[in-house]
Amino acid sequence: MIKVIGFYSTEFGEIWDKSLTALIADATLGALADAKIEKEKIDAVFFANMLSGVLENNLMLPARISEVLGTHKPVFRTEAACASGAIAFHLAKNWLMANPGKTALVVGAEKLTDYSPEEVTAGLAAAASGEEQAAGLTFPGLYAMMAQVYMQKYKYTEENLAYVSHKNHYHGTLNPKAHFRRPVTIDQVLKSAYVAYPLKVLDSSPISDGASAVIVTSDESLAKRSSHAVSVLASETATDSISLKGRTRLDGIEATQIAADLAFSAAKLGRGDIDVAEVHDSFSIAELFAMEDLGFWKKGSAGSQIRDLATMIGKGGKLTVNTSGGLKAGGHPVGATGVKQIGEIYLQLTNQADRRQLKKVKYGLTHNVGGSGGVAVVTILGT
Amino acid sequence: MIGIVSYGFYVPKFRIKIDDIASVWGKNPEDIKRSLVINEKAVAGLDEDSLTMGFEASSMALSGLKIDRNDIGSVLFGSETPPYSVNPASTILGEFLGIGNNYLASDTQFACKAATGAIITTIGQIASGATSLGLVCGSDKANAATHDALEYTAASGSVALLLGQENLILEILGFHSYSSDTPDFWRREGIRYPSHGGRFTGKPSYFRHIKEATSKVLEKTKLVPSDFAHAIFHMPNGKFPREIAREMGFSESQIETSLVVSMLGNSYTASALMGLASVLEVAKPGQLILMSSYGSGAGSDSFVFRVTKNIDSRRREFKKSILKKEYIDYSTYLKFMNII
Amino acid sequence: MISPTKIWRRQKTTVKQLGLTGTVVTWTKIFVPSSEYTSLAPFTVVLVELENKDKAFGQLVDFDIKDLKIGMRVKSVLRRVREVEREDVIPYGIKFRPTSA
Repeated sequence: MIKVIGFYSTEFGEIWDKSLTALIADATLGALADAKIEKEKIDAVFFANMLSGVLENNLMLPARISEVLGTHKPVFRTEAACASGAIAFHLAKNWLMANPGKTALVVGAEKLTDYSPEEVTAGLAAAASGEEQAAGLTFPGLYAMMAQVYMQKYKYTEENLAYVSHKNHYHGTLNPKAHFRRPVTIDQVLKSAYVAYPLKVLDSSPISDGASAVIVTSDESLAKRSSHAVSVLASETATDSISLKGRTRLDGIEATQIAADLAFSAAKLGRGDIDVAEVHDSFSIAELFAMEDLGFWKKGSAGSQIRDLATMIGKGGKLTVNTSGGLKAGGHPVGATGVKQIGEIYLQLTNQADRRQLKKVKYGLTHNVGGSGGVAVVTILGT
Repeated sequence: MIGIVSYGFYVPKFRIKIDDIASVWGKNPEDIKRSLVINEKAVAGLDEDSLTMGFEASSMALSGLKIDRNDIGSVLFGSETPPYSVNPASTILGEFLGIGNNYLASDTQFACKAATGAIITTIGQIASGATSLGLVCGSDKANAATHDALEYTAASGSVALLLGQENLILEILGFHSYSSDTPDFWRREGIRYPSHGGRFTGKPSYFRHIKEATSKVLEKTKLVPSDFAHAIFHMPNGKFPREIAREMGFSESQIETSLVVSMLGNSYTASALMGLASVLEVAKPGQLILMSSYGSGAGSDSFVFRVTKNIDSRRREFKKSILKKEYIDYSTYLKFMNII
Repeated sequence: MISPTKIWRRQKTTVKQLGLTGTVVTWTKIFVPSSEYTSLAPFTVVLVELENKDKAFGQLVDFDIKDLKIGMRVKSVLRRVREVEREDVIPYGIKFRPTSA
């Protein structure tokens, strides 16, 4: 069994005094310390990042990581837009399954705030098809287009979406590493400026810097010595066309559905077994899609179910969602996000989540999406 | 007989009122409107240029025709505001229209008469047997320096004509060109806005050239002004065409259908042709039409057309179509014209 | 600068999509654009199912806001599609206009 034995994340947000390499170093050294292992113990590194090549003309990061770690071990880089982090974790898990007795570092990082919002928007739009980009579509624009279809089909309004931000911002107030640690009311969400109609500033995850790292191992004796170890029960990924043009439906994300089915069957668990989930709420609408496509809620019902706020901390629901604040309040340093999601579930399952700690959690799930739904990764962890 | 097989036009949706321009510069709008006889002008959007408008007009000209586009052996694009200084718009037009590759592409330039000159070139090509069909497009997103007199009139629009020998809507009974070196309006390389000679653009320029070209074509065709159902003169404003018409013995009723300038402004290369598009909406088979263009620099091309019975099947709705409009304010106008 | 070769290649697709009518599948209005689209913003983008069943993306132009809805009928037109430097090749492409306009 592959186990996660350590996690560390930098703060997410506007981290003016740290470069990408410095962020990677902080997360890496933090995770090693958390797992109480020496860097020599790392046999391979899986690194996730999206935009360093586009924005910073900064590639060949594996060699930079070699410099940080002072190691000659293999370093692999993944890029799947916002799903880069979970893909790195997925590959680490597979690598460990093929290599018993080894330990891997999964680190995701992104440095965005050195650039103007227009430059970052243009960079993120690289995760859209050429035709979508040529039409002037941005990343929020693609989700907005899907939101339009969903809202029209199931007769929801912008207010239904606003509950996602309201909930996740509350969770952000409980997470000292969240980009936003202030609550927002439904009214504030509704009154915020449009980014891409019908999505507004407060429906959208922010442009954040940050890095997160987890230590994963197939070394059973090492896992046994760890005071905090959780098992990786499943990590599955599915893909779809990069363009919305090629999707069979626009009222959700089919790749999520496929990855979720694979993951639940691999973990031999049912939807009702999950106590805590970190789902991909890059935009408010995305959490509604996630809840339906992961199979937690019936298709078309998320818009009304979210209003009950049953997935909010303290509401006593069986399933609590995005305790970290999600991407919305927690922040979204693209490459780091998928790794942070794993880390948040790790904290919850090992009782290290401080003020946002849930009671009696046994199984947790993460859901990470790349592009407008071209890649989805579902990971299930258990104690 | 060589003539016009079909036509198309394009007027962008946006309009700016002369009042709005005049008030920015502290002018009395009524004075301007009275002296130029113009109320508003058409303005192309930020994402439009002479080529995109030319494509619209040309698409209309080619729509509904039973022709093989590969038979169009000539595409001439006349403009005072082509998208490039170097790189032809005629090939871009031909490409997007799907005309194939076996055609002569050429961009022409002669202030506001670049397209009427291209009509004469095309007549020559058809007469020589070089091609059976030729497309001519006149298109401009005319710009003027702010606070220049031209700012009240310089407008956007496009007209395209398909010339051929069969199945004509207009037969060309005669034409004449009159040219001289008269620098009344010019723009040098790298300079954004045209300059002009003020009142020099009048008598020795517009009036002299149109009068000479028109007189000669009447002489050649042995016709007199009263023979024509419609006359069209280039429209730099609403005043000049009325004056030249009067001077040459044409009545107000002969020119009034063509006087679209008061609603659309002066779309430069497309200006006289836009008058023709307006006339063709009502022209009846057998009627004679006179059209005289003017291009600064200077020259005038004058044509005599006879309407055939085919017009009834290829008429385009004009009057109603230009009523679909949206008014913009002066700052939006500056944005659309890429001035700010 | 967008490579002129790229523009040239894309024109082959554009030609086939011009002048077709279709139906709006979904739309959005972009308020925060990418850097090459700032002067056009805010602008509306539609996903259209064309008469030949192909789908295409494009900005919507010359429309009345009250007509804007999923299912509206549009026609593809030629426009400049993105801002480029004055030295660059001009990228022309598809936009859509209501058939009623």
